Parts: sequence; structure tokens; C-alpha cells
Amino acid sequence: MKVLALATVEAGDQPEGWDSVLAAARAGDRAAFDLLMRRHERLVLGTAYRLAGNLEDAQDASQEVFLRLYRNLAKLDSGNLAAWLYRVTVNVCHDARRRRPGTVPVDDAPELAAAGDDPQQSADEAERRALLLRSLRVLSEKERAALVLRDLEGLSTAEVAGVLGSSVGTVRSQISKARLKMRDFVERYSRRRL
Amino acid sequence: MSCAIWEERVALFAGGDLGTAEAAGVERHLSQCAACNALAADLRVELDGLRQVHAEPLAAEHYAAVRGRVLAELAKPPRQRAARAWAWAAALAAAAAAVLVVMMKPAAVPVPDVLRLVASAPAVERSRAQRAPRKGAVISTHVRRRRVRGAVPSAIEERKLEVAEVVTPPAPVPPAVEDPPVRMVQLATDDPNVVIYWLFEAKGEER
Repeated sequence: MKVLALATVEAGDQPEGWDSVLAAARAGDRAAFDLLMRRHERLVLGTAYRLAGNLEDAQDASQEVFLRLYRNLAKLDSGNLAAWLYRVTVNVCHDARRRRPGTVPVDDAPELAAAGDDPQQSADEAERRALLLRSLRVLSEKERAALVLRDLEGLSTAEVAGVLGSSVGTVRSQISKARLKMRDFVERYSRRRL
Repeated sequence: MSCAIWEERVALFAGGDLGTAEAAGVERHLSQCAACNALAADLRVELDGLRQVHAEPLAAEHYAAVRGRVLAELAKPPRQRAARAWAWAAALAAAAAAVLVVMMKPAAVPVPDVLRLVASAPAVERSRAQRAPRKGAVISTHVRRRRVRGAVPSAIEERKLEVAEVVTPPAPVPPAVEDPPVRMVQLATDDPNVVIYWLFEAKGEER
């Protein structure tokens, strides 16, 4: 455990360091696997949260993603791990959604409400954030995945295409439609509030 | 109102997804079109807002909960853990078996050159227009050879069918209503498992 912790500290963002952590996890070291989860939990849970729309489903999906990671450690290396995790996260979220069609509760992210001195300003900011998150609901499954990966996770269009198994042209089309739909939603909502 | 033909390009431009030449073209358009300029500005603000919301990490307890659940699952005895995997495997095996059953249907029965035809007499009195075939008569018909798996389907072939027998059913009960009489012709092939029934209504028949 001590040796592993040292290896992790030295690993930092060096792929070689993470290769040794991955090798340890592959050999059955649960502490090493825990480190792998910690390194990628922001990627997995954050993406799942935006795709699923609520924390409970996102946590379920993340659990499934990490269990699949554990089962597939032998096939993966640190170079392709992030892309693999994105792909599995998207697939798990889509599968969960198909198994439970119908209304999915969507968190309005109250915990993310901005804390400001002016209560009115804080309320407006909280409402704006909630509105932006709600705008993701109007997107189709594929549009939402493309937008989340490109605009929120910061992947390139080519990387998004690789994760989603689509062409770059298809992804560009999905992204542009998603942005326009999102903007329409925000505009309609704002107009109704006036 | 923005220009519909520019909207998609403006949306890509706002997210920095256009190449240099395309971006320059959009910029030129934006300098001349106030509506598209406003669209691009709105899109940038909304994308920035969404990125800010997404960039804020969730509370540490949410990550810890996931890690805890995963490690607890891994700590379970392998047999218990494997039960879930086995459930999936069983479902897959069942699906594969179903596909296999469908694919393992009996091979196609070749259509014989001459079929034995058994034709029943009509259920009601025959007319000149709808007369049942007589014994020994040869009927010309068209048969599509049944497709054998993997083979190219053959064209429709003309076959001669010989009427082997004419069956006279018991005296028919007169229909209570004015429904058109139903006729039936039974075609028997060399394969005892294959019998073809031909049912038709003799509309407009004189009674």
C-alpha cells in the first residue's frame, strides 16, 4: 500500500506512472483500483450526471461503468482509458434510459446555486443555471451526448466521433442542432418570463 | 429573425468548431447581419454558462458514494458477483437459442413436377362462371420455388396440376343471409405435410 501510494504521487499525470497503477489494479490490488476510480470519477460521474439529468441515475451509471472497468482492466492501457470510459459511460446512460422510458426526474442543481451577497442576484443566477441544465432535456439522446462531450467535457469533434462511433460530419451536425435547440429553449423560456 | 442557412454554421462558429476559412466566412456574414450576430453572442453566453455549471465539482460525498458502492460490490464473493453476469449470459444464450430455432427450420421441400390436386365440389350449386375442376383435368398454375437458405431465389415457374379427385361434401345448409357462397379447392402435394387450401367467394353468381 505504501509502495502504491508513492507510485501514485510520482505518477502525477505521467502515463508511465499510471501504467504501473493500472498494472497493480490488473493484478487484483483494490487500492490501486480505488486510485484509478478517484482519477477518473470526475469524468465518469460528471458526464453521467449531464447525460442522465439526475444524480441518483448518474451514480448508478457510474457504479456500472467502474464495475465494467474492473472486468476489462486486462484489455486497457492508460492511453486509451479515458476514451473507453467516455464510451462506456454514454452507453450505460443510454441503456438505462431505454430501460426506463418516460419522465426522468432532472435535478435543478440546487447545490450549485451561486452564493452571492445579493439574494436577488443569487436567485437569478441559480435560475439561470437551472434553466441551462434544463435545456439539455430538450435534446435527443445523441445530440445531448455530442454536446456534453464536446462543449462540457471539451473533447475535440474527432474525439467525440470516436467515442460515439459516428463520423465527424454527423457529430458536427448533432452539435450545431443541439446548440440551436438549447438556445431556442432558453429564449422561449426567457420570453415567457417577461 | 436570423438567416436559416447560416444558423448551423453560426452555431458551430460559436463553439469554435469551424476551420479558418469557414470561420472567416461566418465572421464576414456576422459583420453584415445583426440577427446572426445576436445569435452567435447568445450561443457563446449560454455555452459559457453551461461550462461554468459543469466545471463546478459535485460534492465529494457523491464521488465517495460511488467508490464505496463499487468496492463493496467487488468485495462480494465472486460467485455472488458473478450471478449478475450469469443473468446476462443466460439472457444472451436464450436469445441465441431462439435465433437458432428460427434458422434451423426444416429445409425447403422441392416442388414436384406434377402435383396431385384434390378439388372439392362447391359448397353450393355451381354456376357456369365458377365451376370446380373435374377429375383428371389438368390445371396450369404458377409456382414460386421455395427459397432454400443461401440460394438465389428462382423465378416463378409454370406447373401443371392434375385433378386427382373431386369430393362432394354433404348437402349444404342454405345460408341464412345473402352472403356470397364460399368455395374451397384443396391442393395436395407429394409432401403429405403440405396441403394448400384455396378459398374464394363467388360474387355475383346466379342462384
